Amino acid sequence: MIEIVAVSTGLSEDSATSRLADRMLRSAEDALARRGEEATTTHINVRHLAKALVDLTVSGFPAPELDEAFAAVKRASAVITVAPVYKAAPAGIHTLFWQLVDDASLAGTPVLLGTTGGTPRHSLAAESTLRPMIAYLKGYALPTSVFAATDDWGSGEQAGLDRRITQAADELAELALALNPNAAGSSSDAAPGGAEDPAPEAAAGSAAVSPEPAADSDAPAAPGVPYAGPARESGRSAITPNGLGERAREERTRDEFDPDSVTPFSVLLGG
Amino acid sequence: MEFGIFSIGDVTTDPTNGTTPTEGERIKATVTIAKHAEAAGLDVFATGQHHNPPFVAPANPPVLLANIAAQTERIQLSTATTLITTTDPVRIAEDYSYLQHLADGRVDLTMGRGNTGPVYPWFGKDIRSGIPLAVENYNLLYRLWREKNLDWEGNFRTPLNSFTVTPWPLDGVAPFVWHGSIRSPEIAEQAAYYGDGFFHNNIFWPTSHTARMVNLYRQRYEYYGHGRADQAFVGLGGQVYMHRDSQQAVREFRPYFDNAPVYGHGPSLEDFTAQTPLTVGSPQQVIERYAGFREWAGDYQRQLFLMDHAGLPLKTVLEQIDILGEQVVPELRKEFAANRPADIPEAPTHEWLVARQRAGEAPVPGGAPGTRAHEDRLAAEEEARQKQASSTN
Repeated sequence: MIEIVAVSTGLSEDSATSRLADRMLRSAEDALARRGEEATTTHINVRHLAKALVDLTVSGFPAPELDEAFAAVKRASAVITVAPVYKAAPAGIHTLFWQLVDDASLAGTPVLLGTTGGTPRHSLAAESTLRPMIAYLKGYALPTSVFAATDDWGSGEQAGLDRRITQAADELAELALALNPNAAGSSSDAAPGGAEDPAPEAAAGSAAVSPEPAADSDAPAAPGVPYAGPARESGRSAITPNGLGERAREERTRDEFDPDSVTPFSVLLGG
Repeated sequence: MEFGIFSIGDVTTDPTNGTTPTEGERIKATVTIAKHAEAAGLDVFATGQHHNPPFVAPANPPVLLANIAAQTERIQLSTATTLITTTDPVRIAEDYSYLQHLADGRVDLTMGRGNTGPVYPWFGKDIRSGIPLAVENYNLLYRLWREKNLDWEGNFRTPLNSFTVTPWPLDGVAPFVWHGSIRSPEIAEQAAYYGDGFFHNNIFWPTSHTARMVNLYRQRYEYYGHGRADQAFVGLGGQVYMHRDSQQAVREFRPYFDNAPVYGHGPSLEDFTAQTPLTVGSPQQVIERYAGFREWAGDYQRQLFLMDHAGLPLKTVLEQIDILGEQVVPELRKEFAANRPADIPEAPTHEWLVARQRAGEAPVPGGAPGTRAHEDRLAAEEEARQKQASSTN
């Protein structure tokens, strides 16, 4: 089971941004289903958190609904984030959301970027603003981002937008599965964490051979899918040590106030 | 159970009439407030430590506390907080020892790290080292109050050779220490390790969060063998504004809330009162809310209220303290005393600490031999030895 969380900033009742985020979310679900994997989805609309985000910024007061949203992001195996673009930059409350989550909240998480705007001249906002933010939060921003301008919702361009969404969703599904080999119900042999796992360093630099993800063995071959990532075709990946996503998620959702796992004071003292 | 007030010494314009006290007026008002707290039957007055406007809480709290000590008889003097990160532990040791003598032992401290970025470099420190500073500096302070002719070397201050704190603590017993932290598990762990108290200033936080921090401290206190988890020393913050007519309380307090330093111009009064301990209403509402703290914090030792802030005029602050002392605290004392197990300690006084030390029952940092913590540590050391032995073979 892969949990996909969409964080979008739809500012009107029927906003193009919310619509795009919904389609990307559905497309990601389909892409996972084609690979034999189920998904759960959560869609967070930043609009409903606008006041809580500003309150936290100016007064440090953490509203409970904001804590819930941040926890959902930390729990996610895959994230989709979609913003409307104003003046060539994503709307401020959207970037504020990502500025207020904890550092490393996206460690080991594939992230699909989407933006909407009135004209194609806004199309680089995701690249120039969102992509570096996701990198700062240690997420894997996928190579394909989706930009939808007014033109794209017209009949002529619709097909091109659909293709881009499908391609981006496939990238998301591939990377989410490579990072979370134990997500599939059928796989139980590769334990996350543990001393036997290859050290992440071993995989850096060159394309290290990962253990065959069990999820691959019985997944359908996804015929007709325009993109199939390197992890699936070769069982190799230069950037995704097997199970990294699961280990990272475990780490970032760890309860730091759990008396059984707190760092003993002698360790702090010994420095 | 102790009840008291804590002050951050903010100099804030009264939003209802635009007047701002001078620093001198605010400082004198703080002394008046502390004396009034004793007269109203409260148990504790605690001051913050500040180095930047708009605050005139003292840069060295013993200066203020010594002045109050000279004008009071009974009230316990404390801090909220003493900055353990940017204040030289040697000066903390000596200044508070001196205060202990002047105040006949009516002194304890709450350690805090401070979250004002620029303060650190002003004192040659780095905020990114906040936790390591709190760890090393407190360890030194702890030893300074207990070891004469101390030889010491660390990362953050010049080494000490054969150093003895002057004056030596009153009756040879260090003041009780609380460790304050809002969200750092390391500090709850630190408090538990030494068998010290843990103070959570929860005034901006939902109780669900505070409960987890308190639970962490209590469980680790037991782990280190200082007593049962429910016997650990817990202090909590609080914030109230009262009027016999609860709607009038809201009307009077709202402009101060809306313009307050720290949380003003942010969440609404209604959101804030729903999510944090701030209670604006009748004394009865305050009693009901705070009596309920026991349900998630357990039986605890100290409850401090923030009363003098956000530009509230002195006259109002004194009236609020009267309501607290006359109508709220007596009822809360009854509520908290009911069904409180006899072996839950009160907040430590100097006399109690002296008796504990003479009985040989002072906590051993990290746990005495025979405790689980001690055995775990021996096992870890043994494992490390074996690892080293096998790697050298």
